Parts: sequence; structure tokens; C-alpha cells
Amino acid sequence: MMIHWMIEGGIGHLKLNQPPSNTMTMDFFREMRDLVNKIKYAPGLKAIIIHGHGRHFSSGADINELLDNVDEQAMLENHRLFAQMEQFKIPVISAIRGVCIGSAFELALFSHFRICSEDAVLGLPESNFNLMPGIGGIQRVARLAGSAKAIEITLRGNTFPAEDALKMGLVDVVVPKGEVLPLALIFARELPENIDIEYRAFYLHKYIKPLNA
Amino acid sequence: MSQIDFATFEILNEVGIITLDLPPGNYLPIPGFIPLKIFKQWIGSDHLKGLIIRGRGKNFSAGGNLEQLFKESGPPDTMQCLMNEGIELLNCIQNLEIPVISVISGVCFGGGLEIALASHIRVASENALLAFPEVSHNLMPGMGGTVRLPGVIGWSYAVNMILGGDIINAKAGKEMGLIDYIVPKDQPFTFALNLMQKMTRDRPLKVIKSIMKSLKNARTLSPEAAMAEETKLFCKLAADEAERRKTEEA
Repeated sequence: MMIHWMIEGGIGHLKLNQPPSNTMTMDFFREMRDLVNKIKYAPGLKAIIIHGHGRHFSSGADINELLDNVDEQAMLENHRLFAQMEQFKIPVISAIRGVCIGSAFELALFSHFRICSEDAVLGLPESNFNLMPGIGGIQRVARLAGSAKAIEITLRGNTFPAEDALKMGLVDVVVPKGEVLPLALIFARELPENIDIEYRAFYLHKYIKPLNA
Repeated sequence: MSQIDFATFEILNEVGIITLDLPPGNYLPIPGFIPLKIFKQWIGSDHLKGLIIRGRGKNFSAGGNLEQLFKESGPPDTMQCLMNEGIELLNCIQNLEIPVISVISGVCFGGGLEIALASHIRVASENALLAFPEVSHNLMPGMGGTVRLPGVIGWSYAVNMILGGDIINAKAGKEMGLIDYIVPKDQPFTFALNLMQKMTRDRPLKVIKSIMKSLKNARTLSPEAAMAEETKLFCKLAADEAERRKTEEA
């Protein structure tokens, strides 16, 4: 299984499960599609935490596999899948440790909140391969950090440390790596069970920032 | 180098550079400070990967020359016509599918700020001053500023600047998101050129255009349509890259 899904105390743990780099293959997206459909109808689910198995969140798509199978319809479905998660009424929290780049960073950007370890490395490096972020990353970065930053980081394709991501507003909290998952769990319990992404700033200032202080 | 009365255009390493050229204030004699036809010629030349707009000398631009504008405008229809030329030019700048950086030194008022707002990235020198002073002449920003400014800094700050005519320094501009970078006062152009090179030098034009187009779509299309369009742009690049790799192997 490319994804490990477990519900514990009403909180769903979605673990990217292809260590060491938890690559997001076509199989991953197929599993993700089934899972999102299942989650939509899961009773009693209060929040979702997305994280990676082992040291890293994920290094994103398998670029060779992707280039061998360019399929616009499948890509659009992946895109819609992420957008569906963004519209979930329960909080979706990405707990980011280690590497989180490309489609993996896009997945995290579609979550409602991002908790990040100090040693995390983030970025959208697609342009280095003559590509562009293809699953809404550009739009999400523009919304969180402004379109100037979106142009800069997607065109440069450079990776950056957690501290820079925090300054740009691309992640919400930065903590030592051992504290990422425990903190995500606290947020998952504290956040209201019914949220609306439109009011992200409100939840951020009412729940996330004070708890981290 | 190409020149009209109020501006010059040159190309440096695939980057176009427009210099507002009526120092010291670089006033804009008319709203459409570069005729659209000439602007399109400039931008269409070679394969530009980016555009930088700056002012000659110490200031970016003090904006429209109001006395001249009042003198020449005549009846409301003529004024509307003149304004439309400016609006069309700024829309054209904002919609370019290559990054546009404004290099803001010294004064950036009124029409000058309108130009900066139509750009994608704003680099300011530490002594930059930004304002929409129109209100003190019983006027208002007329080239899209009232639409673009709230989109960049939010309603609350925008109301203060447009209705209050407040002059904002670079530091305050950075805090409210109006300025992206502050640099020492003799370096903003070098900084902007360097940033542009880092963004575009190693990138094929099609990658630059696809990314810029995707951002523009977010502004002009519905979320669903923008999503479909982005996927299409991505798949085109991916198909090209797959093809390129095959050819390389062969």
C-alpha cells in the first residue's frame, strides 16, 4: 500500500507510505482517489493529519513515470482530488518533516494548515525539469504568499528551508522535528470539527498561533 | 536602444528594460505614456524573457502631469479617451506572460504607482516613497489603482492610501505587501536584474509563459476553468519534455 490510513480517537492519519522518499506514483494517486471517497463518508471523523513515513514527507511525483504517461484526464482528476480535500469541512493538517517538494508540497498546500519541522526542505522545483507545478501549487502559493513570490519560487525552482517558508506564510508553524506530529495531534483535537477554508486566517489566529506560543 | 519622447527601451541578456525618461520627476505627460503600438513592438522584439521598468535618475515617477492633463483634456470625452489609452497600456503590462519587475527609487506617486501596481514584482530602494495623492486635487486614481491596490494590500490599507492620500515609505510598503524587496538606494536596478536572471536565464520561454499564464488565469477565470487550463499547460510541457528526452536518447 502506498498510503497507510488509520483512524484513532476520531482523527484520521494519512501516512505517505513509500519510504524513504514516499514518491507519489500513479498508484499512489489511485489509492488517494479511493481514500478521499471513503473519507467523505467516514462518520465521526474529526480531523485529518497527513504525514510521511520515516524521515521525509515526500519528494513528490515520480518524474520518469509521469513523463512516460502524460495523461491530461488523469492529471485533472488528481488536481480535482486535491481541491476536494481542500473543501473538506473537517480540518486537514499537513505535518511536514524532511523533504517536501513538488507535488508533495502541492498536497501540503491544499491542506488547511501546515506544521513544519526546522530541518524541512520545501519547494516547487518543476521548472528545473522544463515543467511547471501542475496540481494547483502556483495558485496556492500566490494566495498564501502573494503572486510575486509565486512567480519567483516557481520560476527559480529553488528549494528553501522551513524558516523561509514561515516568513512567506507557506507554512504556519515551525518546530523541532520531534514535536511536529505531537503538535499536529493537539491542533487536530483543538480545532473545530466544522471549518471553512475561506476563514483560514481566523482559525490560524484563534487556534494555531496561540497554541504554539 | 529605442526611444520615444518620454521613455527608452533596451534589451540586456534577453531582459527588456523600459526607462521612464523625463528626469528628475519622470512625470507622465499623458496617461498612455508609451503608445500601445510602440510598446507591443518593443515587447515583441526578439524573445524577451522578462521586463524591468525603472525611472531615469533618482525617482521612479511622480505620476501624471496634472496641469498639462487639465489643459489638454478639454471635454470629458477627450479625457476619457486619454485615460483609456493609459488603462489599456497598464492592462497590457499586467497581462504579459513574462515577469515584469518595477524598480522603485525615490518618488512613486499617482500614475507612477499605477505602473508599479501593474507590474508583477516590486523592488524598492530604501528611500522610496509611494502615494496616490490624487485626492488632494479632488481626483482619484484613474488607471486601475483603486482595483489593483486593494488586491495587493487589502481594503483597510488601500482605503487609507486612496482616500487619505497617505505617503508610504519603503519599510511600511514592505509590511503591507506593496513592496516585495527593499534594497540599498544605489542598488535596486542591479538587484532587480539579478533576480530576473535567476528566474529566467535557465528557463525556456515556454516554461516562463506557462507559469505566468497559469497565474493570470487564476485572476481571470473561474477556479474550475483555471484548474483545467493549468493541467493542460502542464501536460503540454510534459509531452514536450518526454519527446525531448526520447530524441536525446536516440
